[in-house]
Parts: sequence; C-alpha cells; structure tokens
Amino acid sequence: MKMRMKIRQQLKEGLFTRNPVLVQQMGLCPVLAVSTSLCNGIGMGLSVLAVLLCSSVIVALLRKIIPDRFRVLCCIAVTAIFTTAAGQLLQSFFPPLSDRLGIYVPLIALNSMILSRTETFAFRSRVDAAAVDGAVQALGYAMALLLLCAVRELLGSGTLGGGLLGAGGAGIRILPEGAGLRVLVLPAGGFLTLAVLIAATQYILRRMAEKNAAAEKEAEL
Amino acid sequence: MNLASLLSVALGAILADNFIFSRFLGGSSFLDNSKTLDTAAGMGLAVMCAMSAASVLAWLIDKFVLIPLRLEFLQTFAYILIIVCLVQLAELLLRKPLPALCPKLGICLSAFCPKLDACLPSVRTSCAVLGVALLSTRSGLTFVESVVFGVAAGAGFLLAIVLFACVRERLEYSDCPKSFEGLPIALVSAGLIALAFSGFAGLQIR
Amino acid sequence: MNGKHRLSAASSPHICSPFGTRSLMLDVLIALIPALCMAVYFYGPRALILTAISVGGCEFMEFAYRRLMKKSNTLGDLSAAITGVLLAFVCPVTLPYWIILIGDFFAIIVVKQLFGGLGKNFLNPALAAHAFLMLCYPIPMTTWAKPLEWPGLGISVPGAVTCAAPLSAEFMGSGILPDASLGDMFVGNIGGCLGEVSALMLIIGGAYLLIRGVIRVRIPLAFIGTVAALTFLFPQGNGHLRWMLYSLLGGSLMLGAFFMATDYVTSPVTAGGELFFGVGCGLFTVLIRYFGSYPDGVSHAILIMNSTVCLLDKAGMPARFGVAAGRRKAFWKKFRAGGKGEDAS
Repeated sequence: MKMRMKIRQQLKEGLFTRNPVLVQQMGLCPVLAVSTSLCNGIGMGLSVLAVLLCSSVIVALLRKIIPDRFRVLCCIAVTAIFTTAAGQLLQSFFPPLSDRLGIYVPLIALNSMILSRTETFAFRSRVDAAAVDGAVQALGYAMALLLLCAVRELLGSGTLGGGLLGAGGAGIRILPEGAGLRVLVLPAGGFLTLAVLIAATQYILRRMAEKNAAAEKEAEL
Repeated sequence: MNLASLLSVALGAILADNFIFSRFLGGSSFLDNSKTLDTAAGMGLAVMCAMSAASVLAWLIDKFVLIPLRLEFLQTFAYILIIVCLVQLAELLLRKPLPALCPKLGICLSAFCPKLDACLPSVRTSCAVLGVALLSTRSGLTFVESVVFGVAAGAGFLLAIVLFACVRERLEYSDCPKSFEGLPIALVSAGLIALAFSGFAGLQIR
Repeated sequence: MNGKHRLSAASSPHICSPFGTRSLMLDVLIALIPALCMAVYFYGPRALILTAISVGGCEFMEFAYRRLMKKSNTLGDLSAAITGVLLAFVCPVTLPYWIILIGDFFAIIVVKQLFGGLGKNFLNPALAAHAFLMLCYPIPMTTWAKPLEWPGLGISVPGAVTCAAPLSAEFMGSGILPDASLGDMFVGNIGGCLGEVSALMLIIGGAYLLIRGVIRVRIPLAFIGTVAALTFLFPQGNGHLRWMLYSLLGGSLMLGAFFMATDYVTSPVTAGGELFFGVGCGLFTVLIRYFGSYPDGVSHAILIMNSTVCLLDKAGMPARFGVAAGRRKAFWKKFRAGGKGEDAS
C-alpha cells in the first residue's frame, strides 16, 4: 500500500509537478530539435525511455564498485553504450525514422536530463528505486515532448501523425492547406512554442500552490 | 574545394545553420551559461576551441581508425571519449603547467575569460561539441573543410551566446507576465533572434 | 500608481521641450502620409483599407493585452498605430486581411507587449512580424499587384493582376536589370509592397523627419552609403552606376533606412554604435540579396543588427573617469611582470 502511494506520488511528480522538461527545464536540446511531428516525438521518447531505464539500472548496480571521483565519467560511458545500442536498433528496424531523427539519436548520450538523473539519483540508490525513478522521469520527458510535437505539428503544418498515419505518411490533415503557421515547425517556432508551454505550466503550478495555501489557511481558521 | 566552397561552409556554419538558432545543439549549456556577458564569453571561447579540436580529431579517428577497422557503429562512443580526454587535458593544463610555462597567456586568459575553469565541465557534456564531431564526419567533408567547419561552428556558437547574453541582461529591465519570468521569456527572445537569423537560410557563395 | 496625480517632484534644472512621445510618433505618421498617398494612387483604395485594418488591429490588441494584464492604457502614445502602418507598408496590397491581423498579433503581443511594452522590446515589431509572415505565408507575401491595376476590396483577392518586383528572382535576384525605367523606380510605378515602392515619397518623408530632428542622419547615411558602395563595387556583370541606382531604389531600402532602422528603442545610443549599426545593416542587406534565398534582405538585416544593439551599447559605454585606464594599467603591469617569472596570481 505504502509502495503504491509512493509510486503514485513519484508518477505525479515526474509527469507534472517536477516534469523534467516543463518544470526542471533539462534536456531541452532534442526536445526543440525533433518536435516537428508526432512520429518523431514517439521515436525519441521511446529511445530516451529505454536509455534512461537501462542506464539507471546499470549505474545503480555499479555504484558500489566505481569510486565517487569517476562518477560522471561512469554515467557518461554507460549512457553512451546504451545510446549506441538504441541507435543501431532504430537504424535496423525503423530506417526512415532514424534518418529523420538524424544526429539527435547519438546525442541522447549527452542528454542533460539523463546524465543528471543517473549521476544524482541512480548512483546513490538501490536498483529498484533507480529503475522506477528512471521510468517515471523518462515518461514525463516523453509526455512533454509529445505535447510539444502535437502543438507544433497541428498548428504548424495542420496535420497530425505525419510520417506514421495518413496517406503516404503525410498525416491526418486537420487544418486546411496553407492555413497553418509554418514558422512553428521551424527552429524559431520551436523556441516560441516551448516558451508558451513552460509559461502555461508555471501559471498552472502557481495557481495550484495559491489554492493549496488558501485551503490551508481556511483549515487553520 | 576552392575558396568559394570553403567560404560557403564557413558562412553556413556561422549564419545559415547556426548551431544554436538553427540546430539547437548545445542548448542546455547555452541557456545555463548566458546569464551574464562574462560567463557567456568564457563559455563561448571554450566551446569554440573544443569544437575546432573535436571536428578535426573526429575526422582523423574516423578516417584512420573507425572506417578501416569497420567500427563505424562505435562512432558515438569514440567521439565522446575524444571529447572527454580533450576537456580533461585542458583542465589539467589550465591549472598549473600553462601558467608556469607561459605566464603571459595565463594572465590574458584570466583577464578575458575569468570563469573559464567553471565552464569546462559544461563543455564536456555540451551537445554542440559532440554535434560538430558527428556532423563533420557525416557530411562527407574533406580535411580542410572539416577544420573550417569546426572553427566556423565554434565562432557561430560564440556569436550566438554573446548576442543572447546581452539580450538577457537587457531582459532584467523587462516587465513580462509572471508566468513568463525566467526561462520562458529567455526562450521567446531566443526564438526572435532565431527568426532574425532565418534570413540567412539558404546562404550560398556562388 | 494613481493616474490622477500628475505632479512629479524632481530637482532643478528643469528643461521644457515641445517633444514628447506622442508628438514624435505623430511626426513619423505625418512623414508616412506621402508614401501612403502614392500607394493609394498606384494600388487603389485597398491600400488604405489594408493600412486601416492593420492600425485598428494593432491598437485593439495593445488595448486588449494591457486591459487583461491590468496595466496602464498606452494607446495615446501612437506607437501601436505606427507599427500598424509600417507592417502594412512592408506587405503586398493583395495580402488577405486575416493574414495581416495575425501579423499584428505577433508584432504587438509577442515582440512588444510580452517584454513590457514600449521601450522594452529589442526587435523592431513591424519587421519581426514581417519576417514571421514571410515564413508562415510565403506565397501571399510575395504576390505583388501590378501598379495602376487596382485590386478589389474583398478579404482576399485571388484574381488580381500581378507582376514581378524588381528585386525578385526574375530580375535583380538573378543579376538582370529590371525592365522598369529609373524614373518608374523613383516614383513607384513598379510591383512591390505597399509602402516601399515610391522612393520619392519616402525620401520626402525622411527629409521631414531629419528637419524636425526626430531622427539623426547617421544611421540612414551609413546604411544607404554601405549598400551604395557595395552594389557599385560588385554590380554582378552590369554597369556600375545603373546597378547601384536600381539597388538603392528597389526593395524596401528607403523605408528601412529612414523609418525602421532609426527606431529609438532598437537602435544604439552612441554615435559610433549608430554608424556601426548602419554599416552592418547595409552589409547584411547586400549579403542576403546576393547570396541568400530572400530577394530583399533589408528586414532581416535590420533584425540581425537589432539583436546586436545590446552588445553595441555595452561596447560604446563611456568609461568612468579613471577606472578603465586604471584597469588597463594594472593588466599591462601584470603582463610585463608575469613575463619575468614572478608569481602572476
């Protein structure tokens, strides 16, 4: 029971109140780069999930053997191994997706979110705790990434699921042709959309905190 | 390979496909280290040197080790190894031997980039440095082109981070909505500068 | 801050000046009227309606944003009106009305008000919106009406008679001189955006601003001078003088140099900074025109230089008396001492 409560709490934090992208603001490099279509987002999200989960588990297993001085190097090395594996798998089974994601797949090895989670948490925890933490944080990351992808693709190209669904991989058209704000699928639009999403998250969290504070005050009175 | 193509590669890396405003490489280190002009200049110079060295070394390792031994799948691992060694070497040199061997250089460095030591760990995990290594080998450039690409990409990063740091210092006086304070308004500014840089898209010296 | 109490306590000396934000903005609007009249002459009443919709949109969005955010009402300073007029001037007259409203939103809300309003933005709102619209809707933004063939007044006019602008890929974009005469280019009898075609009217407006002291001559001079010099030296195979004149009169160079680059908020404060700014704008304009994929590089060039203004201002800041020289002396002393093997820490 206590375990379930703890996991629920961790899930809430990872997905929302301490979301790696929207609240902790880490690992933004691939988020901005590949979020031009939902399909890319799914591919990148699953890759990050696999790499973080495996890296967290291995680093937690190795924590008793590696001295603290080599902590960072160990984390980088382990992440690099799993990133190489993920890249090779992606290239063999989903070559068009691998081409679209380009150099951002090898760059998962230096993703600041993955490195910070393995370095600060997995290195100091038991294997099961590290695995849960890795999975939850990666889910939060993937969720934020998918949200950004959906907004950018929908408002930018007017389609959803480009590369995966629709005729010839063009995606399901939702807005009329030429009506989308094309700049949103370009780099400038990526910065602007992410800014709006982070601002919206900060606004929601602030309102929640104010409501909680008001409820606590009432409870005291 | 003539001057026009080299100039194309250089201008492309600095302006048309700027590593920050077009490719988002180095985003995290860029956003963390651009709050003041001092840190930004130090970080920019450090990353520029790292990128130039990484581009060249990656090309050499690829040509003489990875391809002959059919080990291309180890590209990521090999490049990360090179970068970590480079940064480690730089850290060791900057601490004692360099100031002792060449005190004038040490004084210059401490005057112009006071926070150089602090940014070296960021350089090690910067996507920009690994990114330039990967791009210079995957774009099929010649040796001279990869040197030019590495230096130009670094110059582009330096330009981007210095411009952004100045704008960010100006943001201190801005009066933005509470939800936008902090990273969001900085991202909006970066997006607007990226909009300006989009004018260089497709720049080619004919 | 209660708006009723308009007394402010400050110590003497007090300088009384007829200039205020509103009067400066009014002067700029007056300077833009000749170009607007010429636009109506060549493109018909749609030019006036598009400008009016743009101004109305900008004013409404500024009012709505400041009302929502519970800030003071700044419609009186006319800056939103100027943004509206300038944005309409850099768009073709056949642009659908809903597109210019999207541009107004971007200019006023994202580029200006999000940073806190007048004085706090770092990019020129009209030009940033122009770059935004060029990326989002490239075809409507590069469909130019033929002069004297007035398009209709509907929301969008797909059946309007169009022609190629002098700077587009058909002519100067590929190094070929356009078939319009220099006289036509000067008066504005060419295809192009609403307010940029008539160099004559824009120069008259610019002269008015210079005489009234609203703008200083440094930036326009440096900007136009650099473009003139570069296009004279590298005429892409045509006659030097002819190519230079066509380059100066085509595109939005006159509009940009007199009305956009000189915007107080987004240009440098120091004299050296202004010159550097003007030269930089000219350099990037020619670079984009010759090697980039946009036919007219003026708006992007000015935007790039806008983002360097913070750096230029910092570099041009006058040194505090004695401090900078002291620091320089200390640095050189250390430098020379370090070479002799003493401890440099």
